[in-house]
Amino acid sequence: MKLFDFGLVFSQIPKLLEYLPVTLELALVSMLAGTLLGLLLAIMRMKKVRVLSQIAGFYISLVRGTPILVQLYIAYFGIPMLIKWINLKTGSNYVPANIPGFVYAVTALAINQSAFDSEIIRASLQSVDRGQIEAASSIGMTYFQTLRRIILPEALTVALPGLGNSFIGVIKGTSLAFTCAVVEITARGQILAGRNYRYFEVYVSLAIIYWVITIIIEQLIRLFERKTRIPDQVEQYQPENLKTGEAAV
Amino acid sequence: MIRIEHLSKAFQKNVVLEDVSLEIEQGNVIGVIGPSGTGKSTLLRCINQLEIPDQGTLTLDGRTIDLHRKNKQDMLYIRRNTGMVFQKFNLFEKKTALENVMEGLLTVHKLKPEEARQAALEELDRVGMTAWANHYPVHLSGGQQQRVAIARALALKPRLLLLDEPTSALDPELVGEVLEVIRKVAGQGYTMILVSHEMAFVQSISNRVIFLDKGHIVEDGTPAQVFSNPQNERTREFLSKMFILTQPEFII
Repeated sequence: MKLFDFGLVFSQIPKLLEYLPVTLELALVSMLAGTLLGLLLAIMRMKKVRVLSQIAGFYISLVRGTPILVQLYIAYFGIPMLIKWINLKTGSNYVPANIPGFVYAVTALAINQSAFDSEIIRASLQSVDRGQIEAASSIGMTYFQTLRRIILPEALTVALPGLGNSFIGVIKGTSLAFTCAVVEITARGQILAGRNYRYFEVYVSLAIIYWVITIIIEQLIRLFERKTRIPDQVEQYQPENLKTGEAAV
Repeated sequence: MIRIEHLSKAFQKNVVLEDVSLEIEQGNVIGVIGPSGTGKSTLLRCINQLEIPDQGTLTLDGRTIDLHRKNKQDMLYIRRNTGMVFQKFNLFEKKTALENVMEGLLTVHKLKPEEARQAALEELDRVGMTAWANHYPVHLSGGQQQRVAIARALALKPRLLLLDEPTSALDPELVGEVLEVIRKVAGQGYTMILVSHEMAFVQSISNRVIFLDKGHIVEDGTPAQVFSNPQNERTREFLSKMFILTQPEFII
């Protein structure tokens, strides 16, 4: 028996990739939910409504101050208890066992994501020049119109590197989803290794997969950054119908 | 007619405007002059509700609005009927010149994109910026940016145009092109309030000049009255300082 089965590292990758959709789904759903919740939290903190901003501050501190592993376990054990309590209080009859582990994992990952994303988003929102917000107000745009059309597009440019980082973070965070009985690539790897005791090989395979995913995401972010950048040079505007032939100065 | 009554604003204990009242006739071009920190900008910002005054009302088309109340509908009504041109242009940096002018037409006037585009192009043409329609603010000089900003404000056909030191952030050689545009706009019958330190320009463009000092209107009259025959001691002092540079040092 070989000490290190080099061939296995690559040959078992297809078996692991069967569960890649689960990993990506976990990451995408958590990221999306986390970013939206993060945006809400960021606005709560910025709007300086006393109670709301305190709640947001407390939430962010609590979530950032506890490990993701602990949060996953709390979600896994806490949500069924919450449901049982609701059953007890309202006489309803929900069965916690029917809830797939995916829901617990996504809940925990999204909550974790939201706390980190909200700070990235808050910093990016605050980086938008006040003058432009005033200009938007002065032409009679509502706050939500201003947010959607002026603030968010500009903030996105600033937030993109941070959010990209955070997305890479959550992809790797999904490797802990086995705690909620979700089988994604890491859990799949552990099951495979349990059969042939090739644990080292499987973790090397997993490392390669995660790294390649991250490289792809880095490239996508770079592409998106290039797309949203203001071009260095622009051609002069040519009116379609030169009515009078009068040259614009 | 637009009427502003009993407008007061203090930042903490610093009283910037105190019981200012002003009646603006249709087509008036009012030049506001005065020393720094006397509330000239604050006056405009209060009218536009970028600053909430401690008290004061604004009457526009017979509708009287309490400026202090922060009522959302009233605020939008005022802002949709007034345009503001800022000292630092404040163009939307992620939008082209054309998109900057279109923005209000799309979101506030709810025009269709093609209509908004045509209207915006006409406004850009008025300020001589058609050729730069596809350029972003970073590509434009200060003077060009300010001309686009004027087009953006005018696109919404404001009843009252507020110009807050529109040339103060410009290089001296770019001041001329912006003043030329403002002069043209004034000639087209827009009602405007112009805060400026360009005394000669204020004198030539406005048909009424107001001198603000320590939050009060201390002088109010035609440019000829205010500049040539000021009644108030503060006005005389201010104007003599202003024109000291244009006077020769020695007269032989």
